[in-house]
Amino acid sequence: MSRPAKNRPLNPRRIGVIAGHTFTQLVRMKVFYFLAIFAVIILGSNVFNIQDIGRPDLEGMDVLRMIRSTSLGTMTLFSVVMGVVATALLLPKDVEDRTLYTILAKPVPRLDYLLGKLGGVLLLIFVSLLVMDLLMTGVLAVRTQMVLSEQAARVAEWPKAEQEALFAEIRSQGATWSIHGAVVAVFLRAAVIASTALLLSTISTSTLFTTITSFVVYFIGNFQSDAREFFLGGASGGISPLAKMAGLAVAVVFPDFQQFNVIDTVIEGQPFLASDIGALAGIALFYVVLHSFVSWLVFAGKEF
Amino acid sequence: MDLAVEIQDLVKEFRPAGRKEPLRAVDKVSIHIAPGEVYGLIGPNGSGKSTTMKALLGLVQPDSGICRIFGNDSLRVDSRQDVGFLPENPYFYKHLSGSETLRFYGKLCGLRGASLEVRVKELLALVDLAEAGNRRLGGYSKGMLQRIGLAQALIQEPRLVILDEPTAGVDPVGSRQIRDLILDLKKRGITVFLCSHLLEQVQEVCDRVGIIYRGRMVKEGPIEELLSLGDQTEIVLRDASPELVAQVRELIAKDGKAELLRAGRPKTTLERLFLQETVDRRDP
Repeated sequence: MSRPAKNRPLNPRRIGVIAGHTFTQLVRMKVFYFLAIFAVIILGSNVFNIQDIGRPDLEGMDVLRMIRSTSLGTMTLFSVVMGVVATALLLPKDVEDRTLYTILAKPVPRLDYLLGKLGGVLLLIFVSLLVMDLLMTGVLAVRTQMVLSEQAARVAEWPKAEQEALFAEIRSQGATWSIHGAVVAVFLRAAVIASTALLLSTISTSTLFTTITSFVVYFIGNFQSDAREFFLGGASGGISPLAKMAGLAVAVVFPDFQQFNVIDTVIEGQPFLASDIGALAGIALFYVVLHSFVSWLVFAGKEF
Repeated sequence: MDLAVEIQDLVKEFRPAGRKEPLRAVDKVSIHIAPGEVYGLIGPNGSGKSTTMKALLGLVQPDSGICRIFGNDSLRVDSRQDVGFLPENPYFYKHLSGSETLRFYGKLCGLRGASLEVRVKELLALVDLAEAGNRRLGGYSKGMLQRIGLAQALIQEPRLVILDEPTAGVDPVGSRQIRDLILDLKKRGITVFLCSHLLEQVQEVCDRVGIIYRGRMVKEGPIEELLSLGDQTEIVLRDASPELVAQVRELIAKDGKAELLRAGRPKTTLERLFLQETVDRRDP
């Protein structure tokens, strides 16, 4: 028997080739046009609120909050939509165009193909969020300086300590490490929803079904912790082990997206600690690995 | 030496929705292809050709039987290191150019750096697409797509090339180019396993053919042998008059003007044999 080269799964180079190609494919599908729309939204929100600077009662901080809120909201929308739609589109498209045949006819393990596709989508979301984050940081830095100068003139007569407290509060509404942490949380949530869409697209051949179901999962994931709290937390006489197991099973099948909802607290200027990011990264990794593994189990037995 | 392709008693059934009984697409098909051979699998639409090829590539799982490529189980990823595949009507990625497409498939096979670049240039020249290498595939004609498809199949210098309808939808000129490429592969000692509806082309390039009908192999063998009619003799004459043809057997020995060039068994055409063994077949 001849001995061909070993082609073990989880080859980083091969996964990287497929991820790079998927990234190029999405870029050439003009996905980055969204970044231009984002820039318009950010600059628009900036311009439309320029008069607020002249309102001493708001102390200019509402403008900064508005920029943070609009930016993070747009990032969330973009990353979730992109995570679902791009992932749901790519796999069935490869099957329909028979490009999948030519890829799997090469020495490419199916796991590497799936991870490459997911990696490409995540790379695109990461790069997009990075660009958006830089744009938001730039706008926030400029506006924070403007608000500080405005307020400095207004509170020139205040005691030094009070002035410093106000300036610190204004700075906390600007470009902080916490807001970058919130962007990381947005990315992690997108990674989980993209891996969910990957799993669904290996089960279904319909892009529409995958897209709709992924959004349903996302919707349920945003409310499941409330439902768990209501059904399990409100039960009198303690929670039965069966109910606890059922609750855990629901949490595994439907990722608890509420855990990633740190944006509101960050917009309010609350700190977002590195340990919180670490915990969220751990949760996201658990779901991405679980979804990828189940996707592979389904995809490995699939016939084309 | 290992066979390039070894398919033994392959059975594949599908269970279409709304149908209780499974549909047997391939029924105990056996194919053995020696290294360097060009083998043609022919049959009407839905006879099981593509399913047999997909089973050999591990794209479908056999219900029973064996599929091996150079002795390696075709369900193992490693067996595909030695195979190049061109599916029927491939689309490829329209957003990539010809050279980017070859680079992508080359990298999947572990090629990189200068050797990959050399190979890409070599293959673009081989399939006569050197000038169109930087154009996106979205602008390629059907014939160009088939040729870039053939080039991607050859990127890692495989020992076996599987071609599913390589000339489907291609005009006669493009079809001839692909035929010449297959003959070139044969010269290089690469094993080719193809299925096609262009029987004349199959007859031209293949060493052996198999005819598959309703999932069963109904005829198989060397093309010369299959096309020979055993109970007849063919006499080929040059400069012979019609009268001479009528009396040829008696006159050849006496007539010094006519020349007996060849005597042998006359042949039917592959097309006639194909129809006889499939749609005109009497027993079910």
